[in-house]
Amino acid sequence: MAKRLGVYVCECGTNIADKVDIDKVLAVVRSLKDVVVADRYKLLCSGDGQEYLKQSITENGLTHLVVAACSPKQHETTFMNVCERAGLNPYLFQLVNIREQCAWVTSDGEAATDKAIRQIRAAISRVHYHTALEKKGMECNPDVLVIGGGIAGIKASQILAAPDRKVYLVEKTASLGGKTRRFSKLFVNMESGPALIAGEIERLQKNKNIEVLTESEAEQILGFLGNFEVKVVSKAEDKEAKEQNFNVGAVVLATGFDLSDAKGLPQYGYGTLDDVYTSLDFEEMNLADGPTQGKILLKNGQPPKSAAIIHCVGRAEKGYCSKVCCLYSFKFDRMLQSQLAGVKIAHFYSDLCIPGKANQKFYEDSRESGVEFIRSAVTEIAGGDKGLTVKYESESGAKGDLAVDMVILLPAMETSGDARKFAEMLNIPQDDKGFLAEEHQLLSPVASAVEGVFVIGCARGPQSIAESIVQAEASAGKILSALVPGRKLELEVKTSQILESFCTGCKTCLEVCPYGAITFDEDRQISVVNEVLCHGCGNCAAACPSGAARLKHFTFPQLYQELKEVLR
Amino acid sequence: MAKTLKLNKGAEQCLLELLKFLLERGKVKGVFTLSKVGESGGVAYSLITDPTALEAALPLFPLMPVDAAKVLSRLTLVEPSAEPIAAVVRPCELRALTELIKRSQGSLDNLLLISSTCGGVYPLETGVNGNISEKLPGYWEAVKKGEIAADIRPACAACEHFVPYNADITLALIGNQDVDKQCLIQLNTEKAEQFADGLAGELSKGEAKSGVVDSLIAKRQARKQELLDEFGVEDFDVQKVFEKCIVCRNCNKVCPVCYCKVCFFDSGGDEHDQRYYETEMGKKGYAPVLPAPIFYQLVRLFHVSISCIGCGLCGDVCPVDIPLWAVALKTGGAVQNAFDYLPGRDLDEGLPVTTFKPDEFAATVD
Amino acid sequence: MAPDDKGALFPAEGGVRERVIAFLQKAISQGCFDAVLIPARAPGTDSLTYSLIGAEQLLENAYPLPPVMPVQGAKAISSLTRTGKGTKKIAALIRPCELRATVELFKLGQVDLDNIWLISIDCPGALPLAEWAKDAKKAEDAFAKILKEGPNEDIRPICQICDKFSTTGAEDLHIGVPAGKASGILLIPNSPKGEAILECLGITAGEDLSGWRERVDKLTGARVEKKRQAQQELEAKSKGLDKLLDTFSQCINCHNCMRVCPICYCQQCFFDSDNMQFSFEDYLKRAQAAGGLRLPPDTLLFHIGRMLHMSLSCVSCGACEDACPTAIPVAQVFSLVGNRNQEAFDYVPGRSRDEPPPLRVYQEEEFEEVEQSHAAVPAKQEARDG
Repeated sequence: MAKRLGVYVCECGTNIADKVDIDKVLAVVRSLKDVVVADRYKLLCSGDGQEYLKQSITENGLTHLVVAACSPKQHETTFMNVCERAGLNPYLFQLVNIREQCAWVTSDGEAATDKAIRQIRAAISRVHYHTALEKKGMECNPDVLVIGGGIAGIKASQILAAPDRKVYLVEKTASLGGKTRRFSKLFVNMESGPALIAGEIERLQKNKNIEVLTESEAEQILGFLGNFEVKVVSKAEDKEAKEQNFNVGAVVLATGFDLSDAKGLPQYGYGTLDDVYTSLDFEEMNLADGPTQGKILLKNGQPPKSAAIIHCVGRAEKGYCSKVCCLYSFKFDRMLQSQLAGVKIAHFYSDLCIPGKANQKFYEDSRESGVEFIRSAVTEIAGGDKGLTVKYESESGAKGDLAVDMVILLPAMETSGDARKFAEMLNIPQDDKGFLAEEHQLLSPVASAVEGVFVIGCARGPQSIAESIVQAEASAGKILSALVPGRKLELEVKTSQILESFCTGCKTCLEVCPYGAITFDEDRQISVVNEVLCHGCGNCAAACPSGAARLKHFTFPQLYQELKEVLR
Repeated sequence: MAKTLKLNKGAEQCLLELLKFLLERGKVKGVFTLSKVGESGGVAYSLITDPTALEAALPLFPLMPVDAAKVLSRLTLVEPSAEPIAAVVRPCELRALTELIKRSQGSLDNLLLISSTCGGVYPLETGVNGNISEKLPGYWEAVKKGEIAADIRPACAACEHFVPYNADITLALIGNQDVDKQCLIQLNTEKAEQFADGLAGELSKGEAKSGVVDSLIAKRQARKQELLDEFGVEDFDVQKVFEKCIVCRNCNKVCPVCYCKVCFFDSGGDEHDQRYYETEMGKKGYAPVLPAPIFYQLVRLFHVSISCIGCGLCGDVCPVDIPLWAVALKTGGAVQNAFDYLPGRDLDEGLPVTTFKPDEFAATVD
Repeated sequence: MAPDDKGALFPAEGGVRERVIAFLQKAISQGCFDAVLIPARAPGTDSLTYSLIGAEQLLENAYPLPPVMPVQGAKAISSLTRTGKGTKKIAALIRPCELRATVELFKLGQVDLDNIWLISIDCPGALPLAEWAKDAKKAEDAFAKILKEGPNEDIRPICQICDKFSTTGAEDLHIGVPAGKASGILLIPNSPKGEAILECLGITAGEDLSGWRERVDKLTGARVEKKRQAQQELEAKSKGLDKLLDTFSQCINCHNCMRVCPICYCQQCFFDSDNMQFSFEDYLKRAQAAGGLRLPPDTLLFHIGRMLHMSLSCVSCGACEDACPTAIPVAQVFSLVGNRNQEAFDYVPGRSRDEPPPLRVYQEEEFEEVEQSHAAVPAKQEARDG
């Protein structure tokens, strides 16, 4: 069928018309082969302009369209939609930017006109080789993958799960509950952590729309909002590893925190002196199934008569405050006092962090119960025959020391070790403290930079259980509004394909694909593109020496023709 | 009876004048011919559209860097030429082009085919060393007298089909005693007459064929026999002849009749896995590993023999100096004789493989 | 990169060829490997074809270090292993440049080394293919002289500037010719597989390699200097579009260089594919734009494109130059461009089986480094030229 090209130059008001001699351009264009109509228009993007284009396509029976106007970023979609409305495949169209790339970057009208002519000629050459491409769509997958079975992950799963939305909750260890399960008491109301968590877990397990995978880890997550392809490997002890593949529409990372390693600060004696514990050690001690069956005991088996609680261990080194330690330290006061009558407790702190409406009283109650608060810098925890000595320097510079039976350190909270693995897997940035970064500190606190991936709980920064739950709810909210079951996802049309007869299996394309969209077929010994995951970046096409990998809409003939004309 | 124009100019000048005339008058949009390239005395085919660029053209330069038929086929493969183009080609290239057209590998539409009675070309090696210019005087002497020029390629020395078939225009060079002063342009077709209409020149009675031409044909035939005997083609020992072949496939790449987009030997169709080699090794104690020279050469001969022109490019480009032209000429000749077929003689003469009937088998084998 | 420099002396008599064959025969008889992949001559001919030889006595026809390199060993190994592994243990006896090309092909998925033992050997160079083609006997005699006395001016230009003619570190075993000894060869293992060969032969790596290493280092140093000079001259002669066009002016687009190049592994070359299929109108328009168009066109584009695709892995083996029918110094030009590009990425093709090709691990941030490295070339060159 003969080609009938239409070429339209937009005046863009005065933006283009004042610089480029459009009539001269049209005179050249009209003489080119297969151009059946070439004209100018004041403002093609306007309602009238679009209607004009649509009519022209139909009236002139155009098979291809070239529009010379502004940046594709601005109006490529606009004109592609016009083509569609006129019954012309939107990929048989080329938009030439003679505004930002031409009229706006020179004051020399002659040069601008000459360049515009070259650009338009190049686009005409190129569009000859365009092929009709069909839009692809797929239904978004409403299911969700939650990584991390702590309180944040559990809460997010409970809210999201529904008959038309399955939740996969993947937990690395053998049991759900995370850190909360190992806090015998929770501040401020001193309720039982295990009991609270057990209740939530029971609710969760009753929910048929949540599949819990313990002793499991997500090994591969590829894709985008609405379509993530997940591979989970489950390995129970002494059992064979089992692999599971499934699709979800969104991923929630709730990988939690670890305490920073107090052994890295030798002045505190952790790991070298008896009876120096971290907060998590102390929590374990207080649990009925803990190492001392819930009794607070020293290494020698005796209950301590005195305890020092050292705040901000590692705060200076880390450069941030872990927010919740002060509050849970007051919880420790009550835990010590309720078990050990007359126990002497001293807090060593530089600042107290007591935000929140219920918490001031929590602190004041501690003070009133006789707990000492010494504002100082702890220089050393020393050991000896008579137990431990806390050596400190007060604000004024005066040195002091305090003999105690037990020292409890409050180390900085860090994001858990797994965060890095997921950051790399999903291409999410980590902030300079190592936490998974939220998209925007103020305006988007639970979404990550990658659409469809959310970061909640201590994975994104030190916070309390209450705050983690708020974030779980927030992420659920965002997911629920983005992934409506039945909503269609538009997939990339300009994807890459690999021609089997050319592919010789060198795997270079696999290595350079940033989206994991290429896999290797061992039977045929060739690379294969997953067109759903492909974003059309073109890395593979550029890297393939034989031309087996080809990018639709950016084929060698198309680019060659365009370049040839531009360089002429 | 073809019309012949006589121009009072040397042959090359004459041809250049014709080409210039065609371009300047807009009778053709481009001229395809040999042109000077680089500073080392090399030539290459060019499509010339600007008459002034003809100054670098050397249409009768005795060197054939590529087969023009391959180039013209490539040019017209996707679509025929929409504009008239004059193409200056050698008789063997013209025959090759005919063979390619029979296989739908191009189109003759809008091509004005200009050829000449051909004195042959020098080996590529000679051209590479820039030594052709010193040989030119001797070359043209041989052309005048209808002799075989010294040091000409063996394939050319053995060529008896140096009078072009199917050319629109033929320059009568061989046997023209005054070839440096005078030239005869034979207009074979109506098309040729139309294109040449307006060219200054007197009508003449001469024609390309002559007694000198006939005697040269006889000389060439004799020389062919000599060369083939020298080469020992009757005791053709496949292993010995191809012993040095490194399967570079140069012969395949330059041969006009090798037109496959993806040669069988590129397709992986001949690849074996290691177990196959191990099994073969088990049988005889050794197994040669690909590339396999004899298999390649024989398969290529199977495929091209029927249309082998004897242009000799294969031997010219062989890096280990296998006289492939002799092999091709002999096997090609034998196959073609069996079917009474001369490649390139007639565009309407179908390829034997497409017209062969079962009952012909006995006759062929005899 | 010098390996650990432990080696064993394998006792054998005769010329280098005889000694190596003796070693291979012993190794096969002891079961160190089941067969050898090596150039071999069919009796009564001049042929040199890579063959898989399992029968000891047939190894008499083998040609380790043939006078020319008709087929690049890496291509032979690829033919053998590309489409499927075998069951036998096969030792491939190849020149160092063939080894380096094999390693590159291995990284590109075109060679499977699981059942292959790579054995390289000190290489004095190779003669131009055309000489052997003209007169095989004369070439053999000339090469026998080289084997005995060391490399001379007869070897190919690319061999004359080769500084990687000995161990690379990526082979399993390397064969060295001991200094000042009329018999024996040095077996230098460079991997557990190589060590297994020595173990199998019942010899220990206790030989003093200092004499041999000294000789190798000395010649390497001389070659490095010669290369620098030669490349400097070549650059002056061929740098810049005009000079490059001139250098390639005689090219007839046969693509032979690509065909014989071990690194060119594409099933169908991009430049032979439908991507380069244009309409007559395209050709005419191009011709009209310049007044004329050389046909077939894009000769230089082919060479530059090929450089783009393979220069980072170019091992300077010279197969391309041997195959060129119009005597263009292809290997020298490609080697020059290859070396420069490789320097920019700190990459030496074939030196390690684990070092990924730069294109695969290249990160955006490195661009500046690479850019500057190229900009630094004139400065580096000035420093080199003193």
